[in-house]
Amino acid sequence: MSTADWGRLSSDAFNAALFAYIAAMVLSFAYLAFRRTSFHTAATVVGTVGLATNGLSIVARGIAAGRTPWGNMYEYSALLTFLIVLAYLVIVEWRYHVTTLGGFVYAFAIFTMAMAVSFFYVGPTDLLPALNSYWRQIHVTAMITASSLLGIGCLFTILYLVKVAVERRQIAALRGETPPPILGGSVDADLDVPPDYVPGADEPVGSAAPAEPARRIGLPPSATLDRLAYRFIQFGFPIWTFGVICGAIWAQQTWGRYWGWDPKETWSFITWTIFAGYLHARATAGWKGAKAASIALVGFVSLLITYYAVNLWIAGLHTYAK
Amino acid sequence: MSPSAPPRFTLRQSFALVWRTLRSMRTALVLLILLAAGAAVGSLLPQIPNSPQRVASYQLAHPFFGALFLRAGFFDVFGSWWFVLILTLLFVSLIACLIPRSRAMLRTIRQRPIQAREIDAFPQYRELRVPAEPVAAAATARTVLRRHGYRVAVAADGRAVAAEKGTLREVGSLVFHWAFLVLLVAVIVGKGTGYVGHATIVEGQTWTDAAFNYDGDLRTGRFSSGSHTGIGIKLLDYSDAFRQSGVPMDFTSKVELLNPGGTLARTDTVTINHPVSFDGVRIFQFGFGWAPVVTITDRGATILHGPVVMGQNAQPGDNPLTVPWIGFVKLPTLRPQVAIKLELYPDSVAYFAGLIAGVPQPMTQAKDPFMRYSLWKGKLLDPSLSGLDTRFMHQVATGGIGRGWTVDLARGCVSSGASSSGLPSQLAGTVCPSGVGSGLTMSFPQLRQYSRLQISRDTTVPWVLAAAILILAGLVAAMYSSRRKVWVRAEPKDAGSVVQIGGFALQRKDRFEEAFPKLVEDLDAAIAKIPADRREEVGAR
Repeated sequence: MSTADWGRLSSDAFNAALFAYIAAMVLSFAYLAFRRTSFHTAATVVGTVGLATNGLSIVARGIAAGRTPWGNMYEYSALLTFLIVLAYLVIVEWRYHVTTLGGFVYAFAIFTMAMAVSFFYVGPTDLLPALNSYWRQIHVTAMITASSLLGIGCLFTILYLVKVAVERRQIAALRGETPPPILGGSVDADLDVPPDYVPGADEPVGSAAPAEPARRIGLPPSATLDRLAYRFIQFGFPIWTFGVICGAIWAQQTWGRYWGWDPKETWSFITWTIFAGYLHARATAGWKGAKAASIALVGFVSLLITYYAVNLWIAGLHTYAK
Repeated sequence: MSPSAPPRFTLRQSFALVWRTLRSMRTALVLLILLAAGAAVGSLLPQIPNSPQRVASYQLAHPFFGALFLRAGFFDVFGSWWFVLILTLLFVSLIACLIPRSRAMLRTIRQRPIQAREIDAFPQYRELRVPAEPVAAAATARTVLRRHGYRVAVAADGRAVAAEKGTLREVGSLVFHWAFLVLLVAVIVGKGTGYVGHATIVEGQTWTDAAFNYDGDLRTGRFSSGSHTGIGIKLLDYSDAFRQSGVPMDFTSKVELLNPGGTLARTDTVTINHPVSFDGVRIFQFGFGWAPVVTITDRGATILHGPVVMGQNAQPGDNPLTVPWIGFVKLPTLRPQVAIKLELYPDSVAYFAGLIAGVPQPMTQAKDPFMRYSLWKGKLLDPSLSGLDTRFMHQVATGGIGRGWTVDLARGCVSSGASSSGLPSQLAGTVCPSGVGSGLTMSFPQLRQYSRLQISRDTTVPWVLAAAILILAGLVAAMYSSRRKVWVRAEPKDAGSVVQIGGFALQRKDRFEEAFPKLVEDLDAAIAKIPADRREEVGAR
């Protein structure tokens, strides 16, 4: 096969993966809505096929370009989606047996791919000599891996905040529906929960709620979401740190300074700082829960700016996008 | 209490309050967020050290905010007083947090695990019935716990073991934070005492490391002594390689490195991603350009001979390789003063191919190089060689010159050499009519290249790297270890004993829930293996 054929195969596989992820997303949301196991099985199969095609696209791209296919935003995005879906399937579904979050993860992957196609597509081209370093492989691998993990963590943080709101409403509704005490009797002690009550992982709120219809939002309990989000961010943060350090070493070799407040550098530092803040907040009394989660949300915005905005709008040394 | 006492007390009290505030995690958090916000401003607005022109154009476009931002230091965030203040406060806050934590850490390490009374009250609890005697069971439990990485202490009666592990968590966290502090200090010292600048060296020329030899963009740290090494760099050869697409493959400078005395130390090669270290400075390949060698004669006497370093006026979006190179020759001693503007096409073949095709072609190599020139006379306003102010000058003549030609500048005609070149016919110059020339001639014997090297001195780079590695190591240690405590107590029952095992984890409780049954299993297996004779012997005692 010629390099042009490999390039075409890569693009076709990319599109196939995109459609597979869309199908997997629809099936996952259908599972969430209708709670039919067959939907989940189908979503997992289609998602895995999408993952395989996504991987094929990356490999074919590498052969077409004759180098590691991590040289521009389009290629980073293909790798990022691959790692997002991989991390989801392996960690969330396989390790933690949480099956209802696929739709959101696939949506995130689809967003990443759509951005890649619409804004960053370039053919399999040669690289500038400055990118021709093994530090590129290490730095990019670390940054993209960390981005996928932090991204999923932030996604789950959003779901956590949604779920906390739902749980609060459920608790409030339960209270409202409790019949008024008769002749000086008191409200059931179990229902008398403080407004900032966050249930533990082993006590999913709502399961004891008789007023809830059978078809409710099937998100895992907020504590599970919170723990998952934390695990992903905790996993991604040292890798992000490692990636930034590798980037600095590479910059020292190429540009003669390990740090120069280039926009991409600056934003990777900002993202690092915010997630460092998040991890500290979780260990600080009075900052746990929604407050820490909102820091993670700021971190998510910063992550997206680091990944996208710097290349799209801010000029700097990392302008490999165009 | 004397009347003067209360204010002194208040002062101390307020100091204590400030100290307490600085020590709190909340303050550290707020400072971290402020630091991030400041850095964000620095990335969104143009910065004076990086792009002064863009700062100037921003100020022209937004006079009000431009002035406001300038006063607030928003155009030089990373050098502004408030950024330094945030960093300093973060520093103090870090130290204020770290000192007591480190002390407590040292105390914990020295302390032996403490025995617990009611083991069955812990979140994880199991009971084993074993045939072994209590002291032997406890001794075995001690071995097993040690094998699992616990620090252990056996109770005075020999029947109970207290164990804990996960000191690594706090150690890792402390290493991370101390290393972060070291990193900040190393960065500040390194940048403060070092310098960075660029040197333009034409092939065959030697450049000496001295402040005035830099390209005018030398940046010296605040605490720098201002002294330079005095080393010499002689550019033997510059070469580059391009792919067919015009994408560069490599830029290579072969250099001779000279000791401050001028003696040769060694020859070396500087390429992209492969800097060269010499005498405390690091030399990086930064850029390149063309430097035609010209000879100017006035009425037969050579008044100038040497390479003209050329630059480009590439517009954003242009491929610089397709853009002609521009340089100036200034002759201030002539009356009237004379300036020559030169426009070089290093590869005239590619240039004309591009003109015909309508798509500019990259000029990557010297192939029939050609220059257009224009001769200006009048008053020179600016001695620099990067531009020409023509307000007090007028253009006398224009013409073209190929390599190996000599031209009569004032008449714009070729006096010798034109026949020897293979230039496209469009460029063939008119040959000067015989007779007396204007007296001012220029010849173009040779086309050389120059290399732009970045020279920097930063003595703390190894420190920064070491600190960064410690940051990472501390981070991983702190995140992936958790503090766990386990207690084992064996009491005699019937012929053997009952072994109580209890414990809890302070972090990553779910992992401990998985690990605990495994630990109990190991304990059970090990205690069951205690030899029978020993059992009896111990039991007989």
